[in-house]
Amino acid sequence: MIHKLALRNLLRNKRRSSLTSVIIVFAFSMMILFMGLSDGGHKAMIDIGVRMGLGHIIVQHDSYSDDPALQHLIAEPEQLIAQIKQQHPTLTAVTRLRVDALIQAGRHGVALTISGVQPNKESQVSAIADQKAIIAGKTLAQFTNDQHMQRLSGIVIGETLAKNLEVRIGDTVTITAKPASGADLARSAFMVAGIFKTGLHELDTFWAEVPLISLQTLLEVPNYASQIALYSQANPETLAVTTQQLKTTFSTYDVQPWQTAAPELYSAVTLDAAGMYLLMLIVYVVVAVGILNTVLMSTFRRQKEFGMMIALGSRASTVSKVVLLEAVYLSAFSLSIGLALGLWGHYHFATEGLNFKEVFGTAMEAGGVLLPEKFYSILDTSKLTLSVLFVFLLTIIVTLIPAIRAGHRSPLAATQDA
Amino acid sequence: MIKLTKINKIFADKHQSFHCLKDIDLSIGQGEFTVIAGPSGSGKSTLLNIMGMLDKPTSGNFLFDEKDVAQFSSNKLADIRRDKIGFVFQAYNLMPVLTALENTEMIMEFSGVSKKERKQRAIETLEAVGLGEFKNRFPAQLSGGQQQRVAVARAIAAKPLLVIADEPTANLDSQSTESLLDLMVSLNEKLGITFIFSSHDPRVIERAHRVIHLQDGKVMRDEQLADMSAGHPQAAMSS
Repeated sequence: MIHKLALRNLLRNKRRSSLTSVIIVFAFSMMILFMGLSDGGHKAMIDIGVRMGLGHIIVQHDSYSDDPALQHLIAEPEQLIAQIKQQHPTLTAVTRLRVDALIQAGRHGVALTISGVQPNKESQVSAIADQKAIIAGKTLAQFTNDQHMQRLSGIVIGETLAKNLEVRIGDTVTITAKPASGADLARSAFMVAGIFKTGLHELDTFWAEVPLISLQTLLEVPNYASQIALYSQANPETLAVTTQQLKTTFSTYDVQPWQTAAPELYSAVTLDAAGMYLLMLIVYVVVAVGILNTVLMSTFRRQKEFGMMIALGSRASTVSKVVLLEAVYLSAFSLSIGLALGLWGHYHFATEGLNFKEVFGTAMEAGGVLLPEKFYSILDTSKLTLSVLFVFLLTIIVTLIPAIRAGHRSPLAATQDA
Repeated sequence: MIKLTKINKIFADKHQSFHCLKDIDLSIGQGEFTVIAGPSGSGKSTLLNIMGMLDKPTSGNFLFDEKDVAQFSSNKLADIRRDKIGFVFQAYNLMPVLTALENTEMIMEFSGVSKKERKQRAIETLEAVGLGEFKNRFPAQLSGGQQQRVAVARAIAAKPLLVIADEPTANLDSQSTESLLDLMVSLNEKLGITFIFSSHDPRVIERAHRVIHLQDGKVMRDEQLADMSAGHPQAAMSS
């Protein structure tokens, strides 16, 4: 009977109930949609960020962060990789050697960062060495595999750098750097194998990649590396556990998660997530106010009915239950529709993706990362479940006081005029 | 069944007070068909509300079924109203979202009567008040007289000891009034249910066994018009 009473009371004022329901449906479905796109955007930012010469986890010499000099390199990096892979076989590891150097071509010279990479391994994890980023020539891996035909080692440089140096594919550039021995400046010539475009000014203007072995030779640091970058397919929670385990096991090294290695990227993701949580808060407030308004209006107009129920022998708790059930039914119905619509939208963007450039007319950079033109909605089931449960709980909380007050109406209200 | 001793009721706020009932002494026995009569403002409804445990007296003793109800909690009072008292209000007070049948079942559901039994009893009661064919109609689809009959059906379906009716015929036409009074007299005679009305309708007063006249919150006259054993009218009068 109390379920019947609750449901029919909701239908009694169809316009009010429908309006509240529409507001909740709209707010909740939008929240799901934005939650999915936001998480998808974050994943895209992190994925692309760690592929721009970074890594999910970075292992380097204990002093390298404070002083990235050639004296603070990792010796025998392949041995260290073997030890890491023994414990964490699913991780992909690449070795890198980095140094600040001068690149010259003809009368042009630019100070930049040279990254010595393992071309074949790097092409699997890096967005710089990726075929998609190469706008002219070859990737370093392709060039290196064909090197028997070449006299010089290859170098891939950014589009802007190539323009500044006025070089094309096949041209020769000279790299000048101070070797580890502290002797005079060392020079080596490289052939421009490829020109990449990431869209990021820093990389396109001041970054170049050469084979690791060539840079090790130039710097006189054979079997040394600046860092070992580790890549993983695991979720953020598992990755955090892995990082902690590596920190414990390899305590003589500096083991950094990407959040520490790329603080701008982490800040951008965190700030965006905070915006999402603010949106969720707004949705919760909208739902709470919507439900509260409906319940208050409904109970205000039915004081005589509640008094009558109590006069006839209904207990206060029964009257309160009727009011609570009304809110629960309204909330359950609206959330179900909102959930269905939100999931439908999520499915669309999870499969088709959101073309950011098409919608906003420009590519977007965040945290030093150029977001991909298209990114895909990702929904965290636990976050979604928590949201649904929280809104349900919120419904009960905001209805509790009007419900209790309805249950404590005087039975005398039944004898008074409406 | 009901014993009131020195009952007073004073309504007061910050600025004024109104002494509504003054030292009422009254006893009402099982099976009586009693009307509390008096002009507007005489305290009929207030007295009825106290007897129905909808309101509490300011002072005095009230025994219901030989129990002093003054110290009972609101839930305990609700239980007594549910199990022993049926109410018929002037404005019918049916739940607008429930059908006639569901309204009649409602109190029995509060009492925990099984679904099958309460449905059967509700149908029988609605048929007894002549509304068997209207059982699935909502209050808005019924006339005033029919709604009041549903209210009577609701009041008696749970088999109470006492039915309290506050001016039940005030909103009814003559035909509906006669029909409703016939029904109540019949229920009183057949089932022995005690009826206490408040009314100044002569058609109600002439059917009563006993008429208690109130004026300015005091019992002015207590007339015994018929034998207490229902169905055997015997003119009697006590002052």
